[in-house]
Amino acid sequence: MSDVTQKAPKRSLFAPDARTQKRNRAEKRFQYYGMAAVGVGIFALIVLLTSILGSGLSSFRQTYISFPVDLLAERIDPEGNRNPAEMAAVTTFGYMPLLAMSFQAHLEAEGIEHEMGARELAAMLSDDAPAQIRDRVLANPDLVGTTIDVQILVGGRIDGFFKGRVTMASAERDRNVSPAQLVLAQVLADRGDVVTRFNWDFITAPDASGQRPEAAGLGVAIIGSFYMMLVVLALAPPIGVAASIYLEEFAAKNRFTDLIEVNISNLAAVPSIVFGILGLAVFINFMEFNQSSPLVGGLVLTLMTLPTIIITTRASLRAVPPSIRQAALGLGASRMQSVFHHVLPLAMPGILTGTIIGLAQALGETAPLLLIGMVAFVREYPDLMSTHSNSFPLMGDGATALPVQVYSWTQRADPAFVERASGAIIVLLVFLVVMNAIAILLRRRFERRW
Amino acid sequence: MKDLNEMSQTDQESAVDVLKMQARGVDVFYGAGGRTGSAAGMAADLAADKNVTHAIKGVDVDIADKTVTAFIGPSGCGKSTFLRVLNRMNDTIEGCRVTGKVTLEGEDIYDPNVDPVQLRAKVGMVFQKPNPFPKSIFDNVAYGPRIHGLSSNKADLADIVERSLRRAAIWNEVKDRLDAPGTGLSGGQQQRLCIARAVATSPEVLLMDEPCSSLDPIATAQVEELIDDLRSRYSVVIVTHSMQQAARVSQKTAFFHLGNLVEFGDTDKIFTNPSDPRTESYITGRIG
Ligand SMILES: Nc1ncnc2c1ncn2[C@@H]1O[C@H](COP(=O)(O)OP(=O)(O)OP(=O)(O)O)[C@@H](O)[C@H]1O
Ligand SMILES: [Mg+2]
Repeated sequence: MSDVTQKAPKRSLFAPDARTQKRNRAEKRFQYYGMAAVGVGIFALIVLLTSILGSGLSSFRQTYISFPVDLLAERIDPEGNRNPAEMAAVTTFGYMPLLAMSFQAHLEAEGIEHEMGARELAAMLSDDAPAQIRDRVLANPDLVGTTIDVQILVGGRIDGFFKGRVTMASAERDRNVSPAQLVLAQVLADRGDVVTRFNWDFITAPDASGQRPEAAGLGVAIIGSFYMMLVVLALAPPIGVAASIYLEEFAAKNRFTDLIEVNISNLAAVPSIVFGILGLAVFINFMEFNQSSPLVGGLVLTLMTLPTIIITTRASLRAVPPSIRQAALGLGASRMQSVFHHVLPLAMPGILTGTIIGLAQALGETAPLLLIGMVAFVREYPDLMSTHSNSFPLMGDGATALPVQVYSWTQRADPAFVERASGAIIVLLVFLVVMNAIAILLRRRFERRW
Repeated sequence: MKDLNEMSQTDQESAVDVLKMQARGVDVFYGAGGRTGSAAGMAADLAADKNVTHAIKGVDVDIADKTVTAFIGPSGCGKSTFLRVLNRMNDTIEGCRVTGKVTLEGEDIYDPNVDPVQLRAKVGMVFQKPNPFPKSIFDNVAYGPRIHGLSSNKADLADIVERSLRRAAIWNEVKDRLDAPGTGLSGGQQQRLCIARAVATSPEVLLMDEPCSSLDPIATAQVEELIDDLRSRYSVVIVTHSMQQAARVSQKTAFFHLGNLVEFGDTDKIFTNPSDPRTESYITGRIG
């Protein structure tokens, strides 16, 4: 007995023994690993954000040119009776020379020197500008025959010059732009005729063709994504939560429910493109919904989101201590009362997290949407109540979605679309951040009720 | 001489007692999986299965009306399990099977046509581990009356809550913070809150699983007073590890050992003159 006490001499609490020191070192080491891991994550995030913001923020600004335009009546209203229906016969090709002539006349009147032909001058203006003027005239036929001050888009290359993408050196090698154009653009900018300002059209306007990146916008894609989110929000959480509650709280635990459980886990791991194939087969080929419509997209994304919602909801239901259910049942509450009065409120924060993660996933998903035709070039804003006869009367119009728009812009040749794509990613990220913020707020509300 | 007198008195009392609940040949198995089948066949089948815990073995108990019945026995002998047989809480435990016959006022509570929800409104329960809802103290107590429609208006409900909290000897401690979360109370306070919650629904039979295990002597005395008070209207079944408590509050005592009901009878007799040697060794502290 005395031997034992002698072998373990009395130690002061202030002098850590070898074992404690080793343990403390291991703990410190682990903390450093953790900090390093967090650091890597933050670094990656910063690189991502700077690269996207760096190349994308400029898409929210656009270069415009101002000069007076003579709306010659004989060109745009050959019949001379100011009837918008007849004037619509003049296409944008009829307006182009009008703009070019006015631009040339403006330069002459102001005494601005240049050595360019009419064609080269006109090429400085955006191909989209005639359409803008035409829309304005058709909306207000009284403008015909007058001279109006307009501010119109310049071509993508000139815009790129003011954003630093196009330089004199690159213009030498570029068929689409000449150094002379850039020199003139700079002169006009110094006079204040050419300005770069915030561009709402990037968010509201529809997509534009590959030749006019300066006019391309996200309007149709945002509406398409918004409609799809409505469909997902209306279908996925109710179905997912109901299925989870049934499986977790009511269903008997047997082979059949085990099978369902395994299959749900597998579905969560199925590549999303497979859901696109499913949507193509079921919703478009079999049910004959309009392809590339937000309705079909939303249904496909709902299917894709369901496993995520079910798995997280079941996990958070399982995390509610059984003693709570027993307390309710022991008081004579029915199973449904115990679930809805006690279990569900406690599981709500987890369910919300899962739902938002699922929605965010759906918002950023591209692959399944490609298969159901949402990658189509759509310039028409989709109608909530669509008039397509062959389709469900809600959200049946063709549309595109934000991530798909990013994808299709990156496919285009003009380098100006790289900037556009990055800008679209910024918009997408903003939506995701907003959604997550809402999730956090909702969770706070529910958590406060202990 | 005095002992004998008291015994004959209790004998007379129990002679006029009305039978409230009756259990005959009850067996309980844990880990039975999804097995079903004819009751007798299944019981034999499960009893033979090595992977199944045979927690209760052929137990017969009579619970008299307006009586306190105490269940005593060493840890793990099946007291809680048998208590849950009486309000079918075992139904909620995965893989738990009960065979045998249990009646409440002559009606078979395990009949397929019986709704366990209705049964549990009549046979209330206080659990071994305090399990208040993560809601306010008021809502904890008011929950039962609310779902059973026991109060006609708010004042009525507040009245039931106050009365229940008073009976559970916790009113003075919580009357100023009825809106505070029930989970924020101390362990002993939580236990009394759970007692108040169970009492609030006015059950005909109240099952209490070690209701005083985390209470100080003063609160214990108050809960014992409550039990005595409840006896005037209801039956109470109490599981306890305290021999003194069983002797103090109960009229009938059941001694369980390894899933068997060893002895069941008048409390006085069990504590003064047990007929089974196992009972004697347990109450004198030699097995347990
Ligand atoms: N949910 C369960 N699943 C499996 N076995 C269980 C379960 N509950 C109890 N048992 C087993 O049943 C037997 C009886 O348990 P029970 O809880 O009824 O004992 P007890 O008498 O209440 O003990 P204590 O005095 O410690 O509370 C024990 O062997 C236990 O292991
Ligand atoms: Mg127990």
